[in-house]
Amino acid sequence: MTIRSRIFIVVGVVIAAAFAQTLLVLRIEGRRGEISAAVDRALWRVEQQASLGRLVAELDGVERARAGMGSAAYGEEHGRLWTLYERSVALLPQYMDDDEARRELSAIDARLRAWHEAASGAPAAGQGAVLIQAIRGDLDRLETRERNRLAAERARANSQSLQSTLLTLAIPAAAIVMLLALLAIIGRILLDPLAAVATSARQISAGTFDVTLPRESRDEIGDMARAFREMIAAVERRQREAAESLARAEREHRRLQATIETVPVGLLIVDAETGRVALQNQAATRLIGHQPGAGSAWLAYWDAFRVTTREGAPVPLRQWAATRLTRGVVGEELVVKQADGRETPILVSAAPLGEEDGRISGAVVAFQDITSLYEVDRLKSEFVSIVSHELRTPLTSIKGAIQLLLDAGLAADADHLMLMNVALANTDRLVRIINDILDISKIEAGKLELAPKPHAAADVAAVSVQNVAQIADASRIALASRIEDGVPPVVVDLDRMVQILVNLLSNALKAAPAGSEVTLAVRRAGDGFAAFSVTDCGPGIPPEKIELLFQKFQQLDGANTRKARGTGLGLAIVKALAEMQGGRVEVQSEVGRGSTFTVTVPTARG
Amino acid sequence: MTILLAEDEPDVQLIARLSLKKAGFTVVTAGNGVEALERVAAERPDVILLDWMMPDMDGFETCRRLKADPATAGIPVIFLTARVQEAEVARAMALGAAGCIGKPFDALTLGQRVLEFVAG
Repeated sequence: MTIRSRIFIVVGVVIAAAFAQTLLVLRIEGRRGEISAAVDRALWRVEQQASLGRLVAELDGVERARAGMGSAAYGEEHGRLWTLYERSVALLPQYMDDDEARRELSAIDARLRAWHEAASGAPAAGQGAVLIQAIRGDLDRLETRERNRLAAERARANSQSLQSTLLTLAIPAAAIVMLLALLAIIGRILLDPLAAVATSARQISAGTFDVTLPRESRDEIGDMARAFREMIAAVERRQREAAESLARAEREHRRLQATIETVPVGLLIVDAETGRVALQNQAATRLIGHQPGAGSAWLAYWDAFRVTTREGAPVPLRQWAATRLTRGVVGEELVVKQADGRETPILVSAAPLGEEDGRISGAVVAFQDITSLYEVDRLKSEFVSIVSHELRTPLTSIKGAIQLLLDAGLAADADHLMLMNVALANTDRLVRIINDILDISKIEAGKLELAPKPHAAADVAAVSVQNVAQIADASRIALASRIEDGVPPVVVDLDRMVQILVNLLSNALKAAPAGSEVTLAVRRAGDGFAAFSVTDCGPGIPPEKIELLFQKFQQLDGANTRKARGTGLGLAIVKALAEMQGGRVEVQSEVGRGSTFTVTVPTARG
Repeated sequence: MTILLAEDEPDVQLIARLSLKKAGFTVVTAGNGVEALERVAAERPDVILLDWMMPDMDGFETCRRLKADPATAGIPVIFLTARVQEAEVARAMALGAAGCIGKPFDALTLGQRVLEFVAG
């Protein structure tokens, strides 16, 4: 049964009881009215009867005094009393509430009337006096009886009144009792469970999930208790999940923290809002040998350092940070100069930390000490330099010896001559390889210095062509230069530009079949550039090989074995040299038709 | 024409000597810078071919001393070097050298190149 219906029932009972009490009171009040009216009537009746008795007594008196008074006076007095009597006796029956009394009164009246008839004629003798005495006695008895009844009515009325008073007092008392009972019942069925639930809720807030709940009755409280229990279970489950997820996150965080602290890469996280270093890992501290640590202002952070590029140009850090931290940077080489004069070359990468809403909340900066790389680089250059020098000395002897032997005409036959030429050609090739390795080494170390100056394109072409004229003649290949009119002077390092073109021309001469033509064409290439194109009608290069062309130590298969082979570095050097002069190299090739290598370099302005 | 050939490496010295002799030079040899200075003082050569890297006194120092001595300052000095990098060539020229010949040199044209440098 629901609490609502229980409360309805309790309240209904209370209202019904109050209603019943009211009805009872009304009924008692009604009966009290009736009794009171009956008492009034009885009182009046008793009075009327008394007055009737008095009239009869007076009639008796007048009759007794008849002898002493004149007949006229008697007649008048008797007549007056009789009229009064008749009026009284006519009124009386309507106040009498029992037939016996009425009959009695009627009998008395008839006897008195008979007496009156008789007395009006002659004076009443002894019999008449006896009669009236009897009538008076009857009247007195009637009156006495009515008086007794009056007393009884009065007693009844008093009793009723007391009952009514008691009842009137009892009603509020009963109402109070019922209200108290109502409160007690409501408290028991409604407030106690609510208080229990509230206590449980407080316990849960305090973190205790083992709570006592009101038993699950089949009513609203039971419903609530059930819902509450489910809620506790859900909250407990969610709290457990949250705790697990937190533990997981903490575990992840610890791992990440350990990783961050372990990686040999210096890491800084900068908070954009506060402009402070939010994280600095051990590698960072080790690397910069500086303990401003997390929490220090980002911009002040670097005040202890001077930062330069690898070439030594100063880097204004505030500007550097402004662009790199918002746009990100990958692998920028910088040199950090510390207060104690120590210089640490670093490789810096930075990335902005974007939030979901697109805001940049900060940046992560990663940097790596590349001192050892620099050292390796330096050692490599030194090694290459020493090796090339050390190789040159014995090569000088070998080459010179062969040349002098050849010159002395000491070859016994054509085979010997050929063998000596092979030895000489390969000595030359070894020298070229050493030169190319030195060039590549210098280019990669950034130590190759170029001196670009304006030179007439035709001169550059002529010097280059002249350089390979002998090889072309020997290979019976025609060399042609086609220089467009009005090509402005090219701004290049002459030796290096010639090196590029000689390299390309040599390659073309190797690729071209005997009797064919190799051309060097020079033309304008857009605004501010000139293009030098070397074209051969050799076998061409398959498209899949073109990408490999400019890599180091890549030589195409089937290179002409009858001619001097290259070093495998030529095109890599060509590409690097062209790019260092602000130009580029492109290849167009068709298998079976030949290839065109084009070097585009800047021209002088105006 | 007398030429002083200062070269510490005997094989290279031999090749160069034969090559120059073939070209018609009278060749005086030295194994290092100190010896070269002595021979220059004794022989008064018309031209000096100096190896850059030598023990005791290298070509650089030898050249500096030759150019510092008014008696020898007028003799053309040509460097013979395995270092053919621009910076070194520029350094040699700044010392007052007449030219630079890289190693390995062409044994058939060595004398001719020397004469070209002497002629300027």
